[in-house]
Amino acid sequence: MTAIGAALALLPALGAGIMMGFATAKATEAVARQPEASGKINSILLMGLALAESTAIYAFVIALIIATKI
Amino acid sequence: MGTIDIIKLAASALLSAGALIGFLVLRAKAAAEPDNKKIKKRKKLFFFLVIAAAWFFTGTVLHILIGGSKGIVVEFEMFPERITLFGVSFAITSVIMWGVTGVVLILALLFRLFAVPKFKVDAPTGIQNVFEIAVEFVENHTKTNVHGKTGSLSCYLFSLAILMFGCACAELFGLRAPTSDIAVTFSMSLITFFLINWYGIKNKRVSGRLKGLASPSPVIFPMRIVSDVAVPVSLACRLFGNMLGGMIVMELLKGAAGGYAFGIAPVAGLYFNLFHPLIQIYIFVTLSLTFINEACE
Repeated sequence: MTAIGAALALLPALGAGIMMGFATAKATEAVARQPEASGKINSILLMGLALAESTAIYAFVIALIIATKI
Repeated sequence: MGTIDIIKLAASALLSAGALIGFLVLRAKAAAEPDNKKIKKRKKLFFFLVIAAAWFFTGTVLHILIGGSKGIVVEFEMFPERITLFGVSFAITSVIMWGVTGVVLILALLFRLFAVPKFKVDAPTGIQNVFEIAVEFVENHTKTNVHGKTGSLSCYLFSLAILMFGCACAELFGLRAPTSDIAVTFSMSLITFFLINWYGIKNKRVSGRLKGLASPSPVIFPMRIVSDVAVPVSLACRLFGNMLGGMIVMELLKGAAGGYAFGIAPVAGLYFNLFHPLIQIYIFVTLSLTFINEACE
């Protein structure tokens, strides 16, 4: 049961993955349209990816807490 | 030691011996006729074959020495184990952190004593270029992200980045990275929380900071307080989760491959223990700067 609970706790990774894909797609479009702004777009993209990734990381930490039964 | 192990050992020994003999013969042939392209190509092929066979042979020997395959064995604790020094119980990560701090301090001292006096103002060379690029990058990054008085913020961020990189390097030596302990990451993000309020008050006084928190309407004030308190928690959890994730992936690799992890783990470690922490350091610094900028404006 704990294993199933830990696996269920990782569901937010689904949303994080989809949204990171969207963000990267949009950033690629932006760079294709304006290659000279690629530096700025890159740093903004990294920021957004970090924020989107954090939900997956919280899920991972919670899954670890469930799995190791603290 | 079963029959399969003996067969594997004999096969790998034969393979490596054959590959080595073939490589030596081809090398002698290539030395005799230097412009024959076919022999050169074959020599290159045999060179890689020698490396692969040697890896297989060493992996088999290590596998037998470890005691064969026990399936996937992963040993990790979310909270680090504790050791007792001088009658006081310490987490192992804090002891490693002292070591990392000591090494970084000694390196900085050696750098100041021996490398800095040799620096030239007009024509920088070698290591001076590297450090100038790093320092200028952090300074420009701070100036473009924070609009307002920054003081010596870039110095703090640079030393934080160096310390975090040292922590990541500790994992390459088989120690547990101090940044995979939530206490370490939380203390780092608490410093960021302190700096957010410090620079906010320095740039706008106390009244301006409070007004900034209640900016669209006073109703939102409690929510802004909660979201401000959530900042250090999210920073700490992000760094901790990423570092622990990298550590678990490496442990899984070592547990699954057994003796054959020899040669694979260092290559994978370049990504999971060096490149990934570098990205996380960049993100930690950038997010700190963004939150400080938010408080300054």
